[in-house]
Amino acid sequence: MNTPLQRPSKQPPDLRAWRAAALALVCLAQVASAQAWTLSIAAASRRVFLHVGNGTTDGNSATVNTVSTTLTGAQLIGGNPLAMSSNSSQSASLYDGYNTCPDPSSQMLIGASYRRNNGNDGPARATLRVTSPANLENGNGDTIPFSQISWTVSAPGSPRPNVIPAGAFNGGSLTLTSVRANTYIENCHSYVYANEAVRAAGAYNGQVTYTLSSP
Amino acid sequence: MRRRLFLLSPASCKAAFAAAASLLLLMVASPALANPHRLDDSLSHTVPASAQMAWRPQTSADPNAGVEAWVRVNIRIDTAKWAGRTGNIYMVLPRDQSSSMEAEWTTNGTLRAGRLVSGERALVYTGRIPGNTLQDQMQVRLRSAPDWQSTTRRLNFYFELDVDGIDAPTAEPSPTR
Repeated sequence: MNTPLQRPSKQPPDLRAWRAAALALVCLAQVASAQAWTLSIAAASRRVFLHVGNGTTDGNSATVNTVSTTLTGAQLIGGNPLAMSSNSSQSASLYDGYNTCPDPSSQMLIGASYRRNNGNDGPARATLRVTSPANLENGNGDTIPFSQISWTVSAPGSPRPNVIPAGAFNGGSLTLTSVRANTYIENCHSYVYANEAVRAAGAYNGQVTYTLSSP
Repeated sequence: MRRRLFLLSPASCKAAFAAAASLLLLMVASPALANPHRLDDSLSHTVPASAQMAWRPQTSADPNAGVEAWVRVNIRIDTAKWAGRTGNIYMVLPRDQSSSMEAEWTTNGTLRAGRLVSGERALVYTGRIPGNTLQDQMQVRLRSAPDWQSTTRRLNFYFELDVDGIDAPTAEPSPTR
């Protein structure tokens, strides 16, 4: 019985010698191939980009835009929904400069992108959410539910004008859509105050936060 | 599981040495027999020594814009063996993975500006090789799609020479001191 160490090879010694020689030369070849300029490069970091209203291409912006409406007594009693105006001036797409929001005084342009290196570099999609407080407040203890504010969407010339869908704030976190890796989405949001009840006089304020995340 | 280990007898060791010497002789001799000839540019270096790719802006004209990085490369190619000969020198980027890498560069004039994609070579010098070294500085832009199979890569550029005429060195390289 042969042990593994004593087991004779079926190959002649000369052939084994050639194999040993070839192995040594492979090592030499590896040394020779080191004569070259080399560069180690790291992949780009995973990145999300989001702008709501005025934004800066691939950059940060401190601007927080406002949508508002002022009701007359008749409108307050009438109970009809009212379109809200915007202080945004962002009409042009940050993606291609297209005039996506032709009337920014009543619209808010929202654009989002998600970029990753490959299938192992984070999830296939990033998630776009908006978080709103329960109420707008006037400082005197009076409130209006945030759910009184909704929005419609548009994107002139786009085959998918509702890529971020229409909806209404819910006084909490609301998932709007997901953004596929290495894509850019955008459309235009027009806000509406439902005006379903008579409220105490005052200026009611509240702030919503849009978030694009790739956990 | 059984492991196989081959031990060489003293006689086999002698045979191995002889075989290695023969193969080594063939290896040393073969570059003088056929183009291309690998050139030594081990004194070349990049600034910075490593780089991180950055995202290129997505636009409607380039919705699939990938990543890019810029590096400066100080090139120093040892051409002592080939001084006075004429030929073409190419920069080569072997393919390191299925994701292609594009390199595009400008130079200070000794070498040619150009472009290549991994797996290709590009002409950087043609004509008479003037001396023991070819030196230049390249500004290299690297671009690729975001389809890497890894989070880091190592690009191993090198230079090779297709020499004109009788394909052999004119003289032995002078010793380095």
